[in-house]
Amino acid sequence: MATTVLHPPTTAPGYRSGLYEWVTTTDHKKIGILYLVNSFIFFFFAGLLALGVRAELAQPGIQFFAPTTYNELFTIHGSVMIFLFIIPILAGFGNYVVPLMIGAPDMAFPRINALSFWMLPLGGLMIAAGFLAGGGAAAAGWTSYTPLSEAKYMGVGEDLWILGLVLVGTSSILGAVNFLVTIFKLRAPGMTMFRIPILVWTVLVTAVLVLMATPVFTSALIMLFIDRNYGGHFFDPASGGNAILWQNVFWFYSHPAVYVMILPAMGMISEIVPVFSRKPLFGYRAFVFATAGIGALGFSVWAHHMFTTGSVYLPFFSLMTALIGVPTGVKFFNWIATMIRGQLRFSTPFLFSLGFLTMFLIGGINGAFSAAVPVDFALHDTYWVVAHLHYVLFGGSVFGVMAGVYYWFPKMTGRMLNETIGKIQFVLMFVGFNLTFFPMHMLGLAGMPRRIADYSSAAGWSELNLLASIGGFTIATSMLPFLWNIFVSLRNGEIAGDDPWEANTLEWATSSPPPPYNFDRLPPIRSERPLFDLRHAASTVGHAGAAAAPATEPGA
Amino acid sequence: MTTDSHALTTVEHSPVGGLAHDARGGISNPVLGMILFLTSEVMFFGGLFAAYFSIRAQSFQGWPPPPFDKENPLEIFPLVGPATVLLIISSFTAQFGIWAIRRNDRTGFIRNIAITVLLGVVFLIMQGIDYTILASKGLSLDAGPFGTTYFTLTGFHGAHVLGGVVMLSVILYRGMAGQFSARHHDAVEATSLYWHFVDIVWIALFSTLYLLPGTTVG
Amino acid sequence: MLGIATLVVVVVFLGILAARGNVVDQLGNVWGSFFPPAATSTQGSEIRGLYDIVFLLAAIIFLLVEGLIVFAVVRYRRKPTDTELPPQIHGNNLLEVIWTLVPTLLVLFLFFVSWRTLNDVDRVDAAAPVQVRAVAARFQWSFEYLSPDGKQIQFKQFEPKMFVPVGQKVHLRLQSADVIHAFYVPQFLFKRDVVPGKENSFDFTADQAGTFRGQCAELCGEGHFAMQFTVEAVPPDQFQSWLQQQIDNAAKQSQQPAASAPASGQPPASGQPPASAAPSGQAGATTLALTAKGIAYEQQSLEAQAQAPFTIAFDNQDDGIPHNVDIHDQGGNSVFKGQIFPGVATQNYAVPALPAGTYQFVCDVHPNMTGTLTVK
Ligand code: HEA
Ligand code: HEA
Ligand code: CUA
Ligand SMILES: [Cu+2]
Repeated sequence: MATTVLHPPTTAPGYRSGLYEWVTTTDHKKIGILYLVNSFIFFFFAGLLALGVRAELAQPGIQFFAPTTYNELFTIHGSVMIFLFIIPILAGFGNYVVPLMIGAPDMAFPRINALSFWMLPLGGLMIAAGFLAGGGAAAAGWTSYTPLSEAKYMGVGEDLWILGLVLVGTSSILGAVNFLVTIFKLRAPGMTMFRIPILVWTVLVTAVLVLMATPVFTSALIMLFIDRNYGGHFFDPASGGNAILWQNVFWFYSHPAVYVMILPAMGMISEIVPVFSRKPLFGYRAFVFATAGIGALGFSVWAHHMFTTGSVYLPFFSLMTALIGVPTGVKFFNWIATMIRGQLRFSTPFLFSLGFLTMFLIGGINGAFSAAVPVDFALHDTYWVVAHLHYVLFGGSVFGVMAGVYYWFPKMTGRMLNETIGKIQFVLMFVGFNLTFFPMHMLGLAGMPRRIADYSSAAGWSELNLLASIGGFTIATSMLPFLWNIFVSLRNGEIAGDDPWEANTLEWATSSPPPPYNFDRLPPIRSERPLFDLRHAASTVGHAGAAAAPATEPGA
Repeated sequence: MTTDSHALTTVEHSPVGGLAHDARGGISNPVLGMILFLTSEVMFFGGLFAAYFSIRAQSFQGWPPPPFDKENPLEIFPLVGPATVLLIISSFTAQFGIWAIRRNDRTGFIRNIAITVLLGVVFLIMQGIDYTILASKGLSLDAGPFGTTYFTLTGFHGAHVLGGVVMLSVILYRGMAGQFSARHHDAVEATSLYWHFVDIVWIALFSTLYLLPGTTVG
Repeated sequence: MLGIATLVVVVVFLGILAARGNVVDQLGNVWGSFFPPAATSTQGSEIRGLYDIVFLLAAIIFLLVEGLIVFAVVRYRRKPTDTELPPQIHGNNLLEVIWTLVPTLLVLFLFFVSWRTLNDVDRVDAAAPVQVRAVAARFQWSFEYLSPDGKQIQFKQFEPKMFVPVGQKVHLRLQSADVIHAFYVPQFLFKRDVVPGKENSFDFTADQAGTFRGQCAELCGEGHFAMQFTVEAVPPDQFQSWLQQQIDNAAKQSQQPAASAPASGQPPASGQPPASAAPSGQAGATTLALTAKGIAYEQQSLEAQAQAPFTIAFDNQDDGIPHNVDIHDQGGNSVFKGQIFPGVATQNYAVPALPAGTYQFVCDVHPNMTGTLTVK
């Protein structure tokens, strides 16, 4: 993806696009695009590692990778997918869209915003550099349980992993501060808290989660670093440390983090479904409370990853985990009620949203199985959990991201993505996804543990694994039409205009792509759908522009 | 697809010109940003404290475990106690500085911030001396779980004091260059919040490490 | 489009089944694969009961919600006649209360049934009749059989085979020598972590005889995938005589430590040859070199002469990790079993004369370590 790719078709004055401009920019839109491009590059990298995993597991026996290498593959696959793809790409959408949606000219701290971004490629490269280090990359899983991740068992790659994640975490924290101040302080006049788009609400709750949870993870990483390099004794039980402590601190962060990975995607779906149903989102307030509820409950369930450790109070965490299904269910019913009695338009963003709804549902429900502790005794650390995490992360977040790309690409570039290629991509991805990850439920039930480089042909897991591998390569294939689509559409795509989707929110009130500082003028904001109000008022009654519109001045 | 038709002709004039858009009263952006950042700092130290308490609770050698037991306890005097008092005083001087600049009293402001910086530096020096004394008694980062937690907690606090000293020095420099006034001193407010936070963390640390009674195991 | 995609998934799926034979049978198998294997312990059966409840609930919710989505998609697609806006409904309090309350009740129900099962399967009885301690180390399992009070080790089984009596409760303690492992037997529907510095324990009762595969379920390093074991449930009287024999053997060995220690044996009734290496020192004509490294044999195939004894110079390169060589004939019977010893070390195994044929050799500690021996 060269920089030319990002050349806006209409060059606004002062909107230069040289490489230097991209490196030094503090414009939230360019930074947002940088986030997206960077995240996709890491997605392809981590995806290639996953293809390595699938190639190795396609048949019993060790074919391509030694067991140590295999462990590096899935460790870096998981770490990069989570910390350098899903979390940053959602932050990238937030960066691009949130200021536009609330009618702000930029983020509150544009330079800190640029700093947050540039920490990411640096951190990512450090993690990936492990493959070149002596002793190989980190290989203790993305969860890096102690004492396996201590210096006795893991080489320099683990240190690179730690330092890389400290950078990525700091980037997230600074980003969260920025989002919160932006949302609290930079809303346009009339944009009350209960009129901000749901996506902005989800970004807000996400930022709170990051702010509260990520520093705890940073502290854990630093303690591990001290253990490994300066003779510390935090996690090594052999010398007075506590092995389970790591799991508590890690999951105290990482469970809220899984909601960091899904809430903004839910927010994007909540923007797209109403637009393509031509109806307002059903139950806006319920949605806000459900989001907050998920965030709050998210802090009290971390030990559901530790049901088999024999170190946690099981009934409490079981109850809280099960309860989290309730606010999520509220969202599902609201989305469905939004579609019912609507007029659905099956453009690509909506297709991917439907992919999200149908697939995330599976991921949520198979997660709820684990809330029943004894069932989790059977399912924990088997491929069932691998199925769960991909159904929520891929079926949920990645489908959401794809919906978002197709939805906002016209705004970002001024051109539409091709619908036909988009639909081809969707079908390939949907089929490949299910082919890959559905059989993993059965593998898990049949007793296949995760993170194994090899299995016996006598175990009876060969066919399903082969199926999953075929699916994995199908998903990879679906990336080709995607890249092709971006490539051709940037040059020759249909010109989008300001508002190609008949959308509801403010970003569609400015040009595509928006000028520096976003808006020349804003429509009056009297509901959570200012553009709908405007369109409707203009086309039917024509009383818009009446005195009721709030008078607002620059910098008032 | 292109529905450009409802161009924004019906709308009054642009409300958003530049970035100076935070004039809706209440706390300023830098101060709000600092408060939020400090929330994350609280959680960071929370993580370290949690580690400390969980390791302490499961210690089978009592707490503190050897080599730092009854015969060889941590000393509040002559260094750590007085250093604590100095740090607390520095929080007050920082606040006096704030009040001064709010009154537009620039000399009072500069004097108080200068004292604060000085106290911070003295605190760091005293902590450094204390570290060397402890090291000479055999207590170091790798000397058992107590050494590890002690030096990690106090070390990270010290790093934060250092950061605060640097920030305050910048404030001092800018103050002497006349960049702050009663109306315009958000950076000062934000920095002093940070300094108070560092102070509070130390009080918590001091209470935990020095005042909380140890345990013995038969 | 979504429909097409779903259709493709279903067609591919049915196609695969059809290619493998009778579709109806196959569908039955597929249905079965939505469930864990049949439980072979009483606790496992309880978990299976809970699983079935959760599965039923999940299936209902899944079908209902997925059905609603499909209904909305099919019924409300935009038609060319849709020029007017659809009704702009912003919400409905009654509906929203209902779909908050109903899932809450379901969730509470789920919680209570699982709590009840949890109390049953998680109950431990430190005075259970059989006391075993599983010791996990990178990358093998061994089993210590403890005295009834659980305080003394009566003998230690180095081979990763755990014998238990059918129908008697086993109190299993878990101990790790290094990192975290997990004791997992799929047919018990159960696993528990083996945490260094902390002794976990649980109880189980095998309710039928048989051999059940087990495997480490917590990532513990490069040999994680190879950390396998079996649980063999045998009738109680057989178990008792086996136990007694092992205890006697252990006592004998401790009296004469010089004797080549046989790896621990089999229950007498299992009909396998007694486990013992041919007396060492009596070297055969040819010597075959075999190296174990990284939990694998470096030589995947060996060749030997028929009807002539030979020596395997077995070089165990894995520091601290025990291996051996166990030669099986086509019928799976062990014809030679070398002593298990930790690396880095070398031993010469004197293998007796074998008839021509193809044999398999495996490491008893790491069943995934295999190779073929051709005798001609
Ligand atoms: C996007 C990320 C994401 C999301 C959103 C979730 C959501 C949930 N997760 Fe998941 N989870 C992960 C990412 C995520 N998870 C990852 C990465 C792991 C593996 C980590 C590792 O070990 O590597 C994991 C592992 C994991 C475990 C540990 C499994 C194990 O290792 O043994 C558990 C256990 O309880 C769990 C539970 C849940 C639950 C209950 C939800 C709920 O939030 C789901 C709620 C949604 C629904 C339930 C569906 C919609 C609701 C309705 C239609 C209403 C009606 C429903 C009911 C009444 C039940 N998850
Ligand atoms: C967002 C998160 C995310 C995503 C999208 C994915 C995507 C995929 N994952 Fe991943 N996975 C995780 C998060 C994710 N995973 C996590 C957290 C773990 C746990 C790790 C652990 O246990 O520690 C895991 C573990 C995991 C395992 C288990 C490994 C094990 O336990 O042993 C497997 C096995 O099949 C797997 C497979 C896949 C596959 C096939 C994809 C596919 O979707 C990938 C699709 C392929 C591509 C996207 C590549 C496309 C590239 C090209 C077409 C080339 C083009 C190149 C250029 C342009 C340069 N994953
Ligand atoms: Cu032991 Cu995995
Ligand atoms: Cu979780």
